[in-house]
Amino acid sequence: MRRFDRRWWRAVALGAALAIAGAGIFGGLFALSGLYNVAASREHFAITNAIIRLTLTRSVETRSMGVEVPDLSDERLAALGARHFAVGCVPCHASPGSKQNPIVAEMYPAPPPLTEAAEKWDSEELFWIVKHGLKFTGMPSWPALERDDEIWALVAFLERLPASDAEDYAALAGGQGEGDDTSLDFGDGEGMTEALCESCHGNADARPVHPLAPALAGQKQAYLLRALEEYADGKRPSGMMQTIATALAHDELARLAGHYAQATSSAAPVGNPDVLAIARGEQIARNGVREDDVPACLACHGEGTSAQFPRLDGLAPEYISTQLSLFRDGVRQRSTYSAIMKPIADRLTERQISDLAAYFSSLPRQPGTAFLRPEGAR
Amino acid sequence: MRFGKGWVFRAIALSALPGIASCSGVQSALSPRGVEALRIDPLFWTSAAVGLAVTLMVVILVAAALYGPPRWRERLSGDRMLIGGGIVLPIIVLTGLFTYGLLVMQAGAVRGEQETDATVTITGKLWWWEVVYEGPDGKAVLSANELRLPVGRPVRLRLESDNVIHSFWAPQIAGKLDMIPGRTNEVVVEATEPAVSRGQCAEYCGGAHALMAFYVVAMAQAEYDAWLAREAGPAVEPVSEEAARGREIFFEHGCGACHQVRGTEARGVIGPDLTHVGSRKSLAAGMMSNDAQAFARWIVDNQHIKPENKMPPFGQFSEEELSALAAYLDSLE
Repeated sequence: MRRFDRRWWRAVALGAALAIAGAGIFGGLFALSGLYNVAASREHFAITNAIIRLTLTRSVETRSMGVEVPDLSDERLAALGARHFAVGCVPCHASPGSKQNPIVAEMYPAPPPLTEAAEKWDSEELFWIVKHGLKFTGMPSWPALERDDEIWALVAFLERLPASDAEDYAALAGGQGEGDDTSLDFGDGEGMTEALCESCHGNADARPVHPLAPALAGQKQAYLLRALEEYADGKRPSGMMQTIATALAHDELARLAGHYAQATSSAAPVGNPDVLAIARGEQIARNGVREDDVPACLACHGEGTSAQFPRLDGLAPEYISTQLSLFRDGVRQRSTYSAIMKPIADRLTERQISDLAAYFSSLPRQPGTAFLRPEGAR
Repeated sequence: MRFGKGWVFRAIALSALPGIASCSGVQSALSPRGVEALRIDPLFWTSAAVGLAVTLMVVILVAAALYGPPRWRERLSGDRMLIGGGIVLPIIVLTGLFTYGLLVMQAGAVRGEQETDATVTITGKLWWWEVVYEGPDGKAVLSANELRLPVGRPVRLRLESDNVIHSFWAPQIAGKLDMIPGRTNEVVVEATEPAVSRGQCAEYCGGAHALMAFYVVAMAQAEYDAWLAREAGPAVEPVSEEAARGREIFFEHGCGACHQVRGTEARGVIGPDLTHVGSRKSLAAGMMSNDAQAFARWIVDNQHIKPENKMPPFGQFSEEELSALAAYLDSLE
């Protein structure tokens, strides 16, 4: 065919090369000239907007494929998510009970109200956005990418947000959602006091809102302070606790550790009907498992041991098993003390973990009661 | 550049050095100090001597075949030389060596057959040795990473493993014997003179296999009895204030969960028994000298000294705490 001979192709190639070079030169000159207006006060063209939104939507849909959604029906999980929402999300996104900060509202794009987020996105897509954030929008990624369990708490809450009005929201957020909380001020200690801690961790009369948040009353002071310091330093990954521990001055952390070490709780231990699991757990806690090289838990976590080793009695079973899994999965291994616990958690089977959780959670923690000791005490 | 004759000589001497160095020393099979090691020792020298003689002969014949007078060369190329030197001689020499080897090694004999009145059970761990003696009152005496033997008295070693296959080898005392999970291999050993020698795991058993050694201390019968009586006893009370503080730290930080110190509440059996750890020749299964600095280093840095061993690193101590803890362990003689 004469029309598509060699010379024709050569001309096409030359034309394409010239076009690309021209576009490059034009683009370079355009960027260097400063003619493009980056002002947040000026909106994109409609077509630009459409392209950006399409790209964003498709990216989230594609990237969130394969995310497995756990059971989010637990109201307590949503309540925990709501409390983090009040601290971590409301400053930009506002809540059903508050108006968006005018400064934030002028961000471009402005952080959308999240009341309709769950209608627009599936659970796995919400999870992906909360975890990874969105480039060029101001939406940050989760501070501790290893903590999917925390992110799901927030997703559980966001799924319930559409139906909420201000009152429902305030109830779900445990009073943390009330008032003017859209200022970006995280506080210098004021306003971030015991009330905030107890909205998740419970107090003398109330259990923690969700087992992911441990009961604090009567825990050892040195351990509590170390935990807060490790959160603040990022050695103990938690998107929820890092945010709070970083916002507080060290003196305040020390004061809170002292306060909760002294605090008492009348909350009864979580009942567990599986007495056999409790008995198996007690056996491991007191004697270890020789054939698996598992040492007795109480040698470090019992009476008369270092103030840096936490007491485990009265903690929720889910908290104990989650933390053991975090050690085992290498999420908690950056601090000196987690380096001790990690190799031991590695040796535990799922069943041993749940037995230990059953045992320790069945014990009442009362002030003044002796901690447990291993067999054959001094 | 010209190399003189002296250079060649020095190079040969230098390259032979490592070989010569390994011929003496605490882990050399060429300094036998046990009945079995003495019995098999001539086998090495005989085989080496025969090997050397054959090599010399071959070298001389090759030289003769290349440079010798025509008459020699003619003889060497004959059929008789081929059949005699290539078939008959090797058959005679190798058969002789083989038979001699079987006789010396007592092939088919059971190495644990001999009657003894003392038994030591050694269990291969990852990566150390648990050593259990029979105490004066017949009770088990737990120790680790060191084998004490009374000179001139046969002792039965029961070799076991609860994990992978190890091999127990104390070259100056006896030949190797594997430690196989699920069974007990027995060998009777007898030290012939008081001496300290070194042994080593001789079967690859994981990443730190090369870091699994031990010392053998052969001592006069009376000394041995006194040692065993002491080893069977409880740990000494700390005498210094620092060591006493070290003992508190030992318990506050849960060391007793894995380690036993008889006479205290520390009853752990996951790691080595520490009741008399201060009196052993080495720490970490032959890896470190036994002193307070080595204890301190091991506690903090054991995962670098012996990677993936079962002990977690304990990096939480202040300098004072660490030296107190090390002083306590060092005092456990």
